[in-house]
Amino acid sequence: MAVARDQYNQQTLGESLNDKLKKSRVLMVGAGGIGCELLKNLVLSGFLNVHIVDLDTIDLSNLNRQFLFRNEHIKKSKALVAKEVAQTFNPEAEVTAYHDNIKDERFGVSWFRQFDLVFNALDNLDARRHVNKMCLAADVPLIESGTTGFNGQVQVIKKGVTACYDCSPKETPKSFPVCTIRSTPSQSIHCIVWGKSYLLSEIFGVSEESSFDNTTNSENEGEIEELQREAAALRNIRNSIGTPEFPRLLFEKVFHTDVERLRSMAEMWKSRTPPESLKYDEVLSRASDALASKDSLLRDGQKVWSLEESLVVFQDSLDRLSRRILKMKEAKAETDPDPVITFDKDDEDTLDFVAASANIRSTVFGIDRKSRFDIKQMAGNIIPAIATTNAIVAGLCILQAFKVMKGEYDQAKEVFLTPFAPARLLATDRSRAPNPKCPVCSTYQTSAFVDLSRATLNDLVEDFVRLELGYGDKEFTVNSEAGLLYDVDETENLPKKLSDLANLQG
Amino acid sequence: MPPSAESDPAMQTEISEDEIALYDRQIRLWGMQAQEKIRRANILLITLRALGSEISKNLVLAGISSLTILDPNPVSTADLGAGFFLSQATNAAEGLEGLEGKSRAEAAAPIVQKLNPRVKVRADSGPVREKDAAYFASFDVVIATDLGAADIAWINDATRAAGKKFYAAGCHGTHGFIFSDLVSHSYVIQRDSANVVTKPGPESATRAVVDVRTKKEGPRVVETVTKRETYSPFGKACLSAPLPAEFARSKRRLRAVSPVLSCLRALWSAPDLADPSSRAGMESFTRTVMGKHAELGLPPETLTPEVIRQFLQGVGAEIAPVAAILGGQLAQDVINVLGQTQQPIQNTVVFDGGVMEASVYALHSDLEGAGAEA
Repeated sequence: MAVARDQYNQQTLGESLNDKLKKSRVLMVGAGGIGCELLKNLVLSGFLNVHIVDLDTIDLSNLNRQFLFRNEHIKKSKALVAKEVAQTFNPEAEVTAYHDNIKDERFGVSWFRQFDLVFNALDNLDARRHVNKMCLAADVPLIESGTTGFNGQVQVIKKGVTACYDCSPKETPKSFPVCTIRSTPSQSIHCIVWGKSYLLSEIFGVSEESSFDNTTNSENEGEIEELQREAAALRNIRNSIGTPEFPRLLFEKVFHTDVERLRSMAEMWKSRTPPESLKYDEVLSRASDALASKDSLLRDGQKVWSLEESLVVFQDSLDRLSRRILKMKEAKAETDPDPVITFDKDDEDTLDFVAASANIRSTVFGIDRKSRFDIKQMAGNIIPAIATTNAIVAGLCILQAFKVMKGEYDQAKEVFLTPFAPARLLATDRSRAPNPKCPVCSTYQTSAFVDLSRATLNDLVEDFVRLELGYGDKEFTVNSEAGLLYDVDETENLPKKLSDLANLQG
Repeated sequence: MPPSAESDPAMQTEISEDEIALYDRQIRLWGMQAQEKIRRANILLITLRALGSEISKNLVLAGISSLTILDPNPVSTADLGAGFFLSQATNAAEGLEGLEGKSRAEAAAPIVQKLNPRVKVRADSGPVREKDAAYFASFDVVIATDLGAADIAWINDATRAAGKKFYAAGCHGTHGFIFSDLVSHSYVIQRDSANVVTKPGPESATRAVVDVRTKKEGPRVVETVTKRETYSPFGKACLSAPLPAEFARSKRRLRAVSPVLSCLRALWSAPDLADPSSRAGMESFTRTVMGKHAELGLPPETLTPEVIRQFLQGVGAEIAPVAAILGGQLAQDVINVLGQTQQPIQNTVVFDGGVMEASVYALHSDLEGAGAEA
């Protein structure tokens, strides 16, 4: 017999598993760092029918690790390019690509049911949670993986057998108390958040106060009121955008007047070094060298700018942003909402402005300044990512998939990379049991087929839940993503059609 | 900035903003200085099958200076199963016939090159045993994959003679190994000072702290610790060395040692393995493995017939996930060694994909001049 292409898979895995993989149908969600590696492993390991979903397009900073993508692919769909390239690894493989959001309604529970196995190769909590929920509802096993820097982990999620993604609480993004950001910064990150979420949005966007912790208590009540007045005054300065006076007005307001007011509050500086306010003309008078080297300054992201250099970048980026917003205002129709510019780490104008403002504020508060490169990371929440960690994690996903395809859930473990540990490169832990208090997987799940345009909420409540599921006279509530739809006292939605109420899923 | 001993004036082409943008996500992890060292490294990779493909992918993406792929063998159909670059090359040549007369190195190099135009990728189809000392001396790191013990030992002797860093690795079905001989390797670790100050001196049989500096950074005290690891060549490590002394003292630790280590050592000592699928082959291999297992002082009950059967079933075979894991770990270690800011592997990794374990053993028969016994 001639040597087959899959000779080694056959030899290592055995005929029965090898055949099973070939006949299976799997879904991979995410075609980024882990996804590129995983898709390669899937088609080489004999998973011949692979569906991939990814909404994202290819960016230059992906190319150091997402090896299916090259320079000429920048701005193209990750899912579509990944499919084209991965198919060249194994001509028998049939990859189906969707350049779409996995939360789109066409990927419903019944769509998930067609798969034998689902792989999460995602980079965000929200999508992970969604796929976790869908896989539980469709009762399809899920292999969940993630990496940050040198670290990575893989786990198998099977309804009723192992813990699900939400069985343990996950870290949520950190928010800072508003007074730390606005009055008493002590670290670079405080000044960066101030530049990004306060200064930039007050001048060019809508207030983004929601990113602060605005809790008032008796101690800071007065201060919060004061801060709100201060912000209102700042918004007034917006009217002079585009005038030659604008940079000075803004600078004097936030780096002089507001700082002087803070300084005057002796209580606040009992155990802290008080801030030192700045005068625009004084700093500018020392900035002639910085002005002369403006172009090279703007090119070099590694340099930590001096105060004078920060002022030069402040002026320049303010000028760029001002011209942009005026142009946007000119172009807008009468009825359109006012244009805004929001922070984007890859939008150089906003990054320069935030970096310069943060550095000037750091100087005021005696905090070390940072390079634009470092500020970009902190402002944009950039997580370091490398090819090797993704490759290792994607390899582990396949080893887990072998166990799942054989039904050996007792042998599927949680695996963690343990970089630089002397005795082992991987640590394994038996899969955890489902958490009986998990809000996601401990609940009873069922699905029903209804014509949303005909069925009413009353049909769901009376006929399905009370009769079919046997809830009888028990009290219960019906919720959707939009909130509460029905409970004993909330009955006004009952006659409404389901299609009018919400996007009911899962 | 003062000129450092590291800087080589001939190589001082500054890292450009474009490069920084391309390598952004990794520079954020290992820093600019490490990237500059990676950028100057010339690496030789011997044998390009699945494992070699993974290693070359990872190193070329990371932005080394040059990669030379040495492999005189022609591309075979079985190579296309997990060897994705060879598969792509075959596609581009419209079948294996299109690659007639080309070595694996020649087939793969143009495909590997496309991953990163900034790296010089070269193909070499010469037999490795014809290479001389000057050849090995022209690389910073030499990596040999999927070779027998005799070839590994021969190449390692050559890299030792040239004072160059050496790695070997192999895949056998769900099993595999990584071995490293970095001769003597210094690296610098920065960390927050603990209450007890780190002192120069030996830390283990192979590792010594050679320098400690402390610096105040705001409220934190940061210490900069220079360490040095000492290595052994393949022959004195993988082929014959006992387990480190601390293993012999603990029954629990001996029981936890992967029996795959015994299997690998048997494979290395019996290059002319009789057909393992035959009864006679299986029996003879089993005897050798049992001998190696006893030699390592391991308890007999950890070496089950199933372990031996599983191992033999995979000998010579490569599958994608195992190649990805081993190739990822090896390339990561090479990158860390070039950057000199992390603890490297010391010195043998035994991988068992069935239980998803990658254990590291420091195998040395007679260490000269290291930290001695800690």
